[in-house]
Amino acid sequence: MPQPCNVVIFGASGDLTFRKLIPALYNIAMDGDLPAALSVVGFARREKTDAQFRGELEEAARKYSRSGLTDEVWDSFSQRVFYHRSEFGSDEGYRTLAERLDKLDAERGTRGNRLFYLSVAPSEFEGILQKLAKFNLNTTKVGSWSRVIVEKPFGTDLPSAQELNEVVSSVFSERDTYRIDHYLGKETAQNIMVLRFANAIFEPLWNHRYIDHVQITASEPLGVEGRGPYYESSGALRDMVQNHLLQLLCLVTMEPPSDLTADSVRDEKVKVVKALRKMSPEDVARNVVRGQYVAGAIGGKEVVPYREEERVSPTSMTETYVALKVNIDNWRWADVPFYIRVGKRLAKGGTEIAITFKSAPGVLFNKEAEMGGPNVLVIRIQPDEGISLRVQSKRPGAMLRIDPVKLDFHYGTSFGKASPEAYERLLLDAMSGDATLFARRDEVEHAWEFIDRIEDAWHSNAAPPALCEYAAGSWGPKEADDLLERDGRAWRRM
Amino acid sequence: MDITALGQPVELGQISRELTKLWESMAGSSSRASLVNFAVYCRGVEALESNTKLISEFTRSHACRAMLLADVPATTGQRVQAWINAHCHLSRAGAKQVCCEQITFLLEGASQKLLANTLFANLDSDLPLYLWWQAELPEEANEQLWTWVDRLIFDSRAWEHPREQFARLQALLTEAGSRLIPCDLNWTRTLHLRQAVAQMFDNPENLAHLPRIDQLNLVHAPGSRSTAVLFAAWIIAQLRWTKDAANSAPWEFTNPDGRTVTCVLEESAGSEISRCCFVAGDVSIDLTRESGSPFFRAEVQRNRSAQWHHLLPAGSDNPVDLLDEELTTGGRHRVFCKTLAVALTLL
Repeated sequence: MPQPCNVVIFGASGDLTFRKLIPALYNIAMDGDLPAALSVVGFARREKTDAQFRGELEEAARKYSRSGLTDEVWDSFSQRVFYHRSEFGSDEGYRTLAERLDKLDAERGTRGNRLFYLSVAPSEFEGILQKLAKFNLNTTKVGSWSRVIVEKPFGTDLPSAQELNEVVSSVFSERDTYRIDHYLGKETAQNIMVLRFANAIFEPLWNHRYIDHVQITASEPLGVEGRGPYYESSGALRDMVQNHLLQLLCLVTMEPPSDLTADSVRDEKVKVVKALRKMSPEDVARNVVRGQYVAGAIGGKEVVPYREEERVSPTSMTETYVALKVNIDNWRWADVPFYIRVGKRLAKGGTEIAITFKSAPGVLFNKEAEMGGPNVLVIRIQPDEGISLRVQSKRPGAMLRIDPVKLDFHYGTSFGKASPEAYERLLLDAMSGDATLFARRDEVEHAWEFIDRIEDAWHSNAAPPALCEYAAGSWGPKEADDLLERDGRAWRRM
Repeated sequence: MDITALGQPVELGQISRELTKLWESMAGSSSRASLVNFAVYCRGVEALESNTKLISEFTRSHACRAMLLADVPATTGQRVQAWINAHCHLSRAGAKQVCCEQITFLLEGASQKLLANTLFANLDSDLPLYLWWQAELPEEANEQLWTWVDRLIFDSRAWEHPREQFARLQALLTEAGSRLIPCDLNWTRTLHLRQAVAQMFDNPENLAHLPRIDQLNLVHAPGSRSTAVLFAAWIIAQLRWTKDAANSAPWEFTNPDGRTVTCVLEESAGSEISRCCFVAGDVSIDLTRESGSPFFRAEVQRNRSAQWHHLLPAGSDNPVDLLDEELTTGGRHRVFCKTLAVALTLL
């Protein structure tokens, strides 16, 4: 159950607050799940009053809330939202914040519970955390709690992640640290465990004996959308694979946890990350394709190459696409390749996991097995969250012709209720003290260890693998197709 | 043309959302069905209307997501317009309508640049892609596009330069690998004739004449030469005749026993192929089709006197029927691929 608390958002003027956090809190209120005693304090540098802040948030909530905006609910909710202007490095700002939170505790019954949301650049983390510690905002009275939610990117490599973890853990205990990966808050991501462990038909097949390979795709037609400087320093691998896609990989491949507590689940996920086969520079050259988009067409319009995007270097070597083949060296997944691809300016947007089963023996119906293809179970993370299963079926008629058909389940239409946004679930969990859907320190660090080997092969190698070009609006570079083709496979069509 | 037949205009980025709304508004009375992505690429605005009618007919027996892409030259710049609509037919049980969606795109300007993305972005995931290419095959193919196509449907009878086009097709098949299945409606058009010939030679008495054939005469309608060439190429490939000289009429071949076979193609008004006659010494096996007749009349003669005759179905030249035939029974078309290599030497 979410407990009464004060939610303090650092970086309250930022996009995330307006697009995601406030609409999420509002929707929780709309669903009646927000604790009656809850206040939201926006902490940012810009000068504005509570009323101005509320006005701006209302406009954003009207635009981004999944349930629209009901004036009555918004009026009640917005009265609990406050603005606190301060520089992130100002002692005075934190001193007055502490006073304000104490006052809210007294007036609104928030019981001294604090949830600090760091929606700021990683470079600000350390300063903010040190100030929180200096003004004892990380410590609480008996029976109260103080937690911190940290937004990605959590480091840019293993050393920086370790350093960041040191900083965070010097102020908050691991138990009170919530590293957010919004993919884990998505309904379908949560459903992966249910699908696997609550259905007797899947788990017996969920291993190298029956699964041929797994594909995980996160594609988007958008470009960098004004985030050139961030993307230049990050690239697709760090931006998406290290966190979101490896998290999905873990959920699909982990062993059943002994219970559903945060640590049991995360222990199993860590085992997967640790079992990822480490890549040598030669492996990287063979199993990883990095690409960058050039001019092309999307949605009926021509789009510029990445190197001509705003605030992007014209000689940039940053990858906007990455495809990799990874292996998990454990009993369950021996010799099962996992193909992961992520990219910008691709033909269609979507995130999904496709589990391709081995083909049935070709003695009866599958003599021309390529006609129908194997069974594929697809877990769609976004958009149109749902699950589909491709099976073979006989086409009606005297001839024996087999065609694939798709059995489809859509979250959006099957339960008669819109799925909550990922941030709704994650905020509720943080208020409830449930860290299951958040990344633990060792998960993050092991993931960086895996990713760093690839980055090193790209950047520290005398002869780095080529950066392949792909036309915007296509499905990525040809080399990525070749990566699967040489294994006799092809990327799934989305 | 009357664009209201294309349904509701939609923004390009909103197609999926608008389709969801469309199906939600029809929930209860109808079911959406889709087993395949059926894309039709055509030239000119006028082709939209006829193809929409064709898709409506086609969806009676083939549940699909239909995508109609019309390529028109632009006066200024590039533009893509889109519409969505649904084709609904009563199910066999009669209680509910079974509906298929059609997404129509009008591509103006540098359409080859826009085509692949427009198609990729709107596919119903996981379902096979059948692309009906109602134009000459492009000189510069978008490799990724062709590797995504499961069945490439075309009608080689409509090609202005069949030799060049078949060569392009062969190159495309090599590039696209084993996934792409060529479905030539012109080949489908010869299906009933091929079946009729096969049936004639299934008779053990006639089968004995097969190695002794010394002449093949084909009569085709004006504009159907490529149909006749494909049919002749099939016979040549199946009977392993080898060509003796460069292109010249009549063609001469040598059969595996070293016997010379002459093949004559003659043009005359009537059915696409109105006559197919095999001559083996004093025996002739003759299939003829009167214009408009749904049957071939098969006749075997010895010394010019009829021994017996027989009627065999001739099929239809209606595009929907050809498509239906192709999609219901068409396999991987390995025989067509073998035939294609021979046809190239005859064109």
